[in-house]
Amino acid sequence: MNMMHPARVAAALLCAGFSSPALAHNPMCECKEIPGEQIQCKGGFSDGSGAPGVTLDVIGYDETILVPGKLGEDSTLTFKKPSAEFYVLFDAGPGHVVEIDQADIQPQ
Amino acid sequence: MSRVVAVPPSPLRAFWLKWRFHINVLLLLIPLGFMPKYFADAALFRGDTGLGERVAGQVQVGPWSLTLAEFRNEGPSPDPAGPMKFFNAALCDNCAEQVKATYLRIGKPRSLRAAGVIFFGTPYRMGAALPVPERTPADAELWVTMEGWDGTMHQGSIPLSQASPATIAWLNKQGVKP
Repeated sequence: MNMMHPARVAAALLCAGFSSPALAHNPMCECKEIPGEQIQCKGGFSDGSGAPGVTLDVIGYDETILVPGKLGEDSTLTFKKPSAEFYVLFDAGPGHVVEIDQADIQPQ
Repeated sequence: MSRVVAVPPSPLRAFWLKWRFHINVLLLLIPLGFMPKYFADAALFRGDTGLGERVAGQVQVGPWSLTLAEFRNEGPSPDPAGPMKFFNAALCDNCAEQVKATYLRIGKPRSLRAAGVIFFGTPYRMGAALPVPERTPADAELWVTMEGWDGTMHQGSIPLSQASPATIAWLNKQGVKP
């Protein structure tokens, strides 16, 4: 038995190098304009997991909720672009939100 | 009688055979070089060196206040969800019992729902990872929203340049994004 086999040493060093002290999962959301005056938003978390069923509301600048929605099984939601000024709020719970202003939504 | 003739080892091998134990003792010294950083980090995580690497000051939030500190005195760190800056905070002594939740956001929140990221931890040492948009202007304000157990909500702000000069330096280095 040889515990100092180079491959084992290399494996141990690799494990030490790639271990992360903490893995947070911050909410993420991206919206883009798609054909037909529609907007598609995709939510998720920074650990790579999706967000099916999470609330995503489209809210006017006057704080009225224009489109109350929930993300589908594919973590996306498509809605018609509102005529009024709006922002998108991906709401995975208090303190776990992402706001996307209409100015930050890339046109097609 | 054995007739095997011993072949003299090469000079390199002779050196290795003679000094290998001493050389291996040197290997034990390598971790010593990492010890100062290790103990500094351990003290920072435990709170032995205070709230964070740099205490930004007090933020008055209605009847309450908190002490805000940068966890590390450096710019935001990369994250899949965008650059993140870590802040620590401690509630004032007499408000620890009254405050239910504390939120942090760059810019004034539109509503309580969008109050920003929430602080985790005990009232004496809470932490939050604040996303810093790359388009943040250098004169931005950091807004603290506090929600009390009695249902009241209060807000206060501190200039980002005061809360984290390192983040301002990071933003300036990035250049203003369109």
